[in-house]
Amino acid sequence: MFAYVARRIMTTIPLLLVGTFIVYALTASVANPLAKLATCTTCDQAAFDRIIDLYNLDDPIPVRYGKWMLGAATGDMGQAPSQGNFDVFPLVMERMANTAQLAIPAFLIIAVLAIALGVFSAVNQYSKSDYFVTGFSFVGISMPTFFFALVLQVIFGVWWQDWFDAKPFYVSQMHMGSIVDIIRSHTLPILTLVLVITAAESRFERASMLEVINSDYIRTARAKGLPRWRVILKHGLRNAMIPLVTIWAIDFAALLGGSVVTETIFSWPGLGPLLLDGIFQGDLNLTMGIVMLIAMLVIFFNLIADLVYGMLDPRIRYE
Amino acid sequence: MKRARRLVAAAAAVALVATACGDGGGDEPSGEETTAAADDTSSPTETGEEVDPANYCEGGGEAELVWAHEQEPPDMHLDDPNNNLSITSWVRQSLWDGLYGVSAATEFIPELLAEEATVNEAEDGSVTIDYKLRDGLTWSDGTPLTAEHVKGTFDIIMEGYDAETGEGGVYLIGDRTGYDQITDFTVNSDTEFTISMDKFFAGYKALFSEVFPTHVVTTAEEANAAFPEFEHNGETLPSSGPMLFGEWERGNSMQLERNDEYHGSTSPDVTNAGAACVSGVRINWVADTDAQINALKAGEADMIFTQPQTAFGERISTDEAFTIASEAGPVYEHWGFNLFNPHLSDPLVREAIAYALDKSQVMSALYTPLFGDALPAEGQGNTYWMSNQPAYEDHQAQYLGNLVDEAKANLEEAGYTEGANGIYEHPERGPLSLRVGTTGGNALRELQQQLIIEQLKPAGIEVVIDNVPGGDYFGAQPFNPDAIACANSGGTEGNCEIWDITQFAWVGGPWPGSNHVAYLSGSGNNPYGFANDEFDAMADECDATVDDDERAACYNEMDKFVTTLEKDPENGLVVIPLTQKPSYYAYSNERLERGAVAPDANSAGPLVNVVDYLPAAE
Repeated sequence: MFAYVARRIMTTIPLLLVGTFIVYALTASVANPLAKLATCTTCDQAAFDRIIDLYNLDDPIPVRYGKWMLGAATGDMGQAPSQGNFDVFPLVMERMANTAQLAIPAFLIIAVLAIALGVFSAVNQYSKSDYFVTGFSFVGISMPTFFFALVLQVIFGVWWQDWFDAKPFYVSQMHMGSIVDIIRSHTLPILTLVLVITAAESRFERASMLEVINSDYIRTARAKGLPRWRVILKHGLRNAMIPLVTIWAIDFAALLGGSVVTETIFSWPGLGPLLLDGIFQGDLNLTMGIVMLIAMLVIFFNLIADLVYGMLDPRIRYE
Repeated sequence: MKRARRLVAAAAAVALVATACGDGGGDEPSGEETTAAADDTSSPTETGEEVDPANYCEGGGEAELVWAHEQEPPDMHLDDPNNNLSITSWVRQSLWDGLYGVSAATEFIPELLAEEATVNEAEDGSVTIDYKLRDGLTWSDGTPLTAEHVKGTFDIIMEGYDAETGEGGVYLIGDRTGYDQITDFTVNSDTEFTISMDKFFAGYKALFSEVFPTHVVTTAEEANAAFPEFEHNGETLPSSGPMLFGEWERGNSMQLERNDEYHGSTSPDVTNAGAACVSGVRINWVADTDAQINALKAGEADMIFTQPQTAFGERISTDEAFTIASEAGPVYEHWGFNLFNPHLSDPLVREAIAYALDKSQVMSALYTPLFGDALPAEGQGNTYWMSNQPAYEDHQAQYLGNLVDEAKANLEEAGYTEGANGIYEHPERGPLSLRVGTTGGNALRELQQQLIIEQLKPAGIEVVIDNVPGGDYFGAQPFNPDAIACANSGGTEGNCEIWDITQFAWVGGPWPGSNHVAYLSGSGNNPYGFANDEFDAMADECDATVDDDERAACYNEMDKFVTTLEKDPENGLVVIPLTQKPSYYAYSNERLERGAVAPDANSAGPLVNVVDYLPAAE
């Protein structure tokens, strides 16, 4: 297995290089750090020169990318002019820690809920409860994240205090005072992420579970007289989770990479708003730092998913 | 209706305050004297109630002011041209005072100065300007603020700069205009100093809009290192304004604390004679517009002050729990024409557009519902002076709007004939179809575009939208190097077909002389291709006029070159100013007893008169 992991890691290097170069080239060709000075009626040439030097704008894009990548390989992702020239790496790590405060609890809840709803829906196929869960899923899938987030803000932040003279949750900012403060500020963004992602994942789990519970070995297990719950949980669920593990790997990486919409709506100081800032302000170093992190997270969690397959399905061997 | 009443009341109160303070003229007393003298006086506040300026905070609470705002500054080094964000300026307004401030009427007012500076002109054209600071000025660390601080500020700005070559300079600043004309700076006493210039600089009141704490930061290098985080050697920089810089939690919030040593504001828009009533200001970074409104309604913010958005009008203006206060600022939206477009090069076509375009409808449909009567109903008619400034004249009053017959007559005189589809067509130039571009994504701007396009249709003028998202628009269209090359070369170089009509905002101010660069021949900031020798000469003449009133009149004459065909029948009427861009400012009536007037809205910001915010009693 060690050889397999090493081989996988080696294959990710060219993938990372190609992927990041494409992002760099695209970002560099549309981002114009000098745009801020376009209407500066009296800026002298020195003002322009400083920005040109800051971003190496005199160099062609491949050379600029090469310089950035060489730095990134040694842990120096440059500075982020859009964030007061802070070093990109510690800045990104700090914001990822904030994002993780939403991503980890959200992911744990999503994992449990997606399995529970998917299994429940599958074993009760075409029942009223299945239709109810299916309806919930479609609402969650079809509702835009920003809309649901704003609805939660209005209900729990604005309307609730009209009804009860107090509001249960904060609608903006990250509060880290007491445990009550943490619960009040973390709940709504986590709830937003949970609803939107659980809705999709529960559909995957339902479909996968339906396929498994209609297979021969499940029928055999039932014929042997095993209790239904044991057949479903021990024999069915394990196999039905394999497709879900793939989705989890992608979703968890995406959650840790920052949810742009949810974090922006709830004014959360995570990676999402930071990435937006980097893009809108043409801050290549910052944008690339975050993109690189997200790419690495996706690759890492996909590797983990591949390893988990082996645990779930003994037929899978790593050579 | 209620909002309209509030706006009227606010406007009346501002006028009353201005009148009451006008008697003082240039004899502004010191901070201590202000308090003593004010004991037997009372002034009306924004809401019209009589309040004793010396005891302004009585009856209020001790809470901090929480402001939800969408944009976080990259750092606090305001002069760094890579950081020219309004929010940086707005925060700094509450931290460091300058020689002159700006009033709600977008006029300069002595701030650190005891009186207006005196300009002495010599026969050779050189000038000396004498300044006198208020007595009793102090920094928050207790150090007296003296003329040496102003001199030190000048030294930092000019350190290493060669005024002859225009090169060098250690301090990060995009523009040393005016400072580079100072040939001598003499400190006469703690409160008096004199600057000398070879010739008069009309924008002298805009100089030293901040005085740096040079007893702490002594060199340009130190300033560049200290200003971004507002600290030097681990200590927060001292303030001369009503607030102290506090903690900055990046991505989340910025905290300002009250400066208890504050020497008091001299603004005619301010009632409070002493330190701020609020214990501090917390600025929460809330990027989304709807989330800002939710934060306000949820009681997590006391105030929002931001770009005008239609959502604010829909969700807040009808809610009695909030006070809306819009102020007209020095920023104006305009349509500008590319003079090298075959159609627009013809003055008759440009005038036809001016005839058909109906500014008053734009105002009544988009602006009045949001901002009441803060802006003139007929729209903006001047690019040098804004409608709330005393020198304002409407130079486009002849274009009343919706004058379709006049527009058609112009087009027919220019050789156009109406086509079967209603669009006019020229035998050589083809159909009169033009593109208008702006910063895509700004809903209010895009609505304005659509409205004007509909107004032009009946006159047989087709305009299609050609926007580019966000700030990239400027580099892509009007300020594209090829487009500027075309404009500067008289149409012989570059690419003259990149854009036809541009829509964006220019920033004016109490000294509008810097507006020349948008129209001077060969200027890199002149995208229109306007070139007129007489205009260029007049720019120098106006800027050299020492008398304020004469200079104001001179700028009005210059404006006629670009907003009418009167001065330049061939190239004139190159711009159509549409409307001033107002601020949108709302605060919670439950959490604040009184708000504060936010003058010079888009430049000064909501904290410039922060001393007047009064938290509600608990």
